[in-house]
Amino acid sequence: MADHNDPNAVNSIFSDIDYSAADLYDLFGFPTNGNRSALLALTFSATPRAGELDSDVLYRLLLTSHPRVAFAKPPEVSLESLLGYFEAVKDKYLGELKTAEVRVTVLKDQRALLKFIGFPGGNFSTEIAFDQVVPIKTPDGQTIQAFIGGRDDAFFNDLTGFFRSINYAPQFYHVPHTMTEARELPIPKTLLELEGNDLFNYRPDLPKWGFTQRDGTTPKLDLPPGPWEWKGNRFKKDADGNYRFVYDGSDCRAGQNCNAIILEIPHSFITKDTGRDRIVNAWGESWVLKAAHKVESIPDEPSWLKHPWKVLRERELDDELRQYKLVDTDGQPFADAALSEREDDRQLGANNFWLGPHFVKRLAHLGWGFGPSISALGLETSFDHDHSPVSVHRVYDSAIAAFPRATRTLFQPLNMPDDSWNPKGLDIPLRRPFEIFVPNVCAIDMDTTGTWPFGRRLEDQVATRFLAMFLDMSASLNGKPYHLDLLGDPALWAAAPIVPKTPPNPLKNDKEFLATFPYLADPWPGAW
Amino acid sequence: MEGAHGGHPMTAFDAELAKARKDISALELLAQRDPRDPEKRVRLAYRQFHQASLTGSESDFRAAKQTCAEMIRDFGPKEDICLLEANIAGRFHCLAEARQALQMCPSLARRMAGRSLLADLDFQEGRYDQAHAAWEDLIAEQRTWDNLARLAHWKGKLGQIDEADQLYEEAAGDLTAKEMRSFAWIEVQRGALALSHGRPNQARAHYERASRSYSGHWYTDEHLAGSLAAEGKPEEALALLQKVSARVPKPELKQTCGELLRFLGRADEAQPWLQAAEQAYLSSAQEGAVHYYHHLADFYADAGSQPAEAVKWARKDVALRANFSTQSALAWALYQSGDAAEGLAWIRRALASGVQDAGIFATASAIFNACGDAAEGGRYARAAAAINPNGQNFHMHH
Repeated sequence: MADHNDPNAVNSIFSDIDYSAADLYDLFGFPTNGNRSALLALTFSATPRAGELDSDVLYRLLLTSHPRVAFAKPPEVSLESLLGYFEAVKDKYLGELKTAEVRVTVLKDQRALLKFIGFPGGNFSTEIAFDQVVPIKTPDGQTIQAFIGGRDDAFFNDLTGFFRSINYAPQFYHVPHTMTEARELPIPKTLLELEGNDLFNYRPDLPKWGFTQRDGTTPKLDLPPGPWEWKGNRFKKDADGNYRFVYDGSDCRAGQNCNAIILEIPHSFITKDTGRDRIVNAWGESWVLKAAHKVESIPDEPSWLKHPWKVLRERELDDELRQYKLVDTDGQPFADAALSEREDDRQLGANNFWLGPHFVKRLAHLGWGFGPSISALGLETSFDHDHSPVSVHRVYDSAIAAFPRATRTLFQPLNMPDDSWNPKGLDIPLRRPFEIFVPNVCAIDMDTTGTWPFGRRLEDQVATRFLAMFLDMSASLNGKPYHLDLLGDPALWAAAPIVPKTPPNPLKNDKEFLATFPYLADPWPGAW
Repeated sequence: MEGAHGGHPMTAFDAELAKARKDISALELLAQRDPRDPEKRVRLAYRQFHQASLTGSESDFRAAKQTCAEMIRDFGPKEDICLLEANIAGRFHCLAEARQALQMCPSLARRMAGRSLLADLDFQEGRYDQAHAAWEDLIAEQRTWDNLARLAHWKGKLGQIDEADQLYEEAAGDLTAKEMRSFAWIEVQRGALALSHGRPNQARAHYERASRSYSGHWYTDEHLAGSLAAEGKPEEALALLQKVSARVPKPELKQTCGELLRFLGRADEAQPWLQAAEQAYLSSAQEGAVHYYHHLADFYADAGSQPAEAVKWARKDVALRANFSTQSALAWALYQSGDAAEGLAWIRRALASGVQDAGIFATASAIFNACGDAAEGGRYARAAAAINPNGQNFHMHH
């Protein structure tokens, strides 16, 4: 009676975390064809390689179309009214809205099976080859353009700068997988380096530190023993009186590929009433085949008594989806990384209503970091930081306490840089942060260009626009109201007491986008 | 996947092992190029452990252990490495060493992975309630498949077979197509659970599903052979086991081959197998390893017919980890050596754990009878038969 193989032999301790084809990167969505079609591009890890998809993964693009409805302005701006809004949205999403979807699975011969489910024109499916533009005829005689395969990753962003701004240790230090408390260290989040923040401040002797290299490696240091705190009281300045920017504008995804599902879908295929339903909401999901279904179909009805939530969710699924496990969702850029801290159990996609209170707390936490940084640069901030001269690390347990600080940041209309987003000059209200992130969908306004937050165009610098939420949009600079692209204006930084004198993120992608479908650039040879 | 195997399709096991070896080669180069980069060396250690888990080879485990030791020397105790070192030590029954590795990083005791491992050690050391409570707590926090499987094992041993199987099923349901080896491992556990309760057909179905879901793994074949033996097909079991033994240099497989041959009346053929197993066990023990103590006790009590030696090794084992398994083994060895009275004391300790195991009950029956308590002897014989009516058939040691 030996026991070498009892559960202490379970090999579940950490090994390498491999790249996963289920890792969704971005969802782009904007009107095309004279605003008669919606372009949707779901990008994800090029695993196993660009142009080759993993047959164990199922992708979903979910769509609804509905009228542009400004939610009734509450009698007062309060936490109750905000939570009431989230409830109303939940009822709308879980109740009246019908969701259609395009479901993509990979066939054995590296072709894709596309199922169009729940569209007014009827359900149908088709197979297409990878890496080619394929026109798909719908049952009602319309044409959908489709491309599935490898592309240049359309995300252009100073990821290292972002990680430096939030003191994210694993980008800069060897942090064991077990040490979950050593991710975002308890140091104020900031746009400007903090004097004495030796854990994260730029080191001229280590220019590549924290930057992922082309071979996939990232130069890192050993994490010194804690406590990992910052005890300073001001932003760092050099001998010339300049602040040091945590960003340097690098494109950390330059030269990297993704795989993508790109569809150009006639609006009239998504809704019968295109005149009324001017909003197209979209989000993406990745699901990985359950092991039990890889080998054969095994009934796996969970016990109602033990897991009622699981049973409820399972009942909403069809037979095919029951064979898969939801792994990742994508709607809004930064909804996960910046607001939900990318925790696995918060991968809720459009159903992120219950994160409303967390959203308020997290936004206030970020505000205490970014707000004072913005003030130090002489700009006005939407966040109430009590005139703090420097960024503060503050964590909220309660949305009630956080709300007063973040009220303006949550409710202010986000000014656009000019009127080009609204070419028809329609009476379209500017979007406000609380509307953008809950629910976590890419909401394309079919009367606009679809630039963020009225969708998301490929050329949108969404990371910089995200930071602009912390600007006070009622303020002006040189006679012009603050707007979403203000922090992307090189002139602003050229005049600011800061080095390097650069916008936080690159202004354009490393590869030109295409003027026609599939719009995303060709993949880089040999990259992944 | 074609190639590498004379035109035969590569099994899932072969493919995973080939990838692990390739990764190790690449990581060794990177680690040599930059020995001050702990991340590469951590990855190397984990890949080496991954390879060792596949091959079951002690030398592969030694390589992983060596990398851990070098890392601790060069970088001090890091959580990932101490966790790995503790895991390897626990696997080889070095429980004190495992605790020491965990203590090097006190923060590990707060982590889920560290807590799971500590509960494993509690179970091995006979603190069943503590282990049970820890796994229940961990599962309440997060229903991970590995902790569900651990709790299933606990319940299976304590006689809650249906609950155990449901937990295994739930654990399997949490796994994706990217974790087929783990899925197969759970199927094997479900098979072993069924087999231990006299359900060979059900066991066979689980083993075959394991084989279909993750092809080519000797671990599944080893259990499949056990199922064949229990079904009264010793020739088929032997043929399969000899193939497995040719692939995997584990002495316990050789012992089983020898016992099967002897069971088939081929004592002469059995002898070299048994001698090879004995030699390997003894060599391992002479080198300071302790994980074959249990096999040595078992070997000398049955195949080796040297009960005094069996008692010696069983006492060493129980001193390391006093649980119902080692206590029962010592009781059996003492009974075989003619000391039923002390055997009775040890089997009582094993039974006090609440274990519900046909083998342990059969041992108890024999010892109670030998001590003149026919009533208890009869009761445990009936209890053994109730759990596994096929308990008298040939059974294998895993």
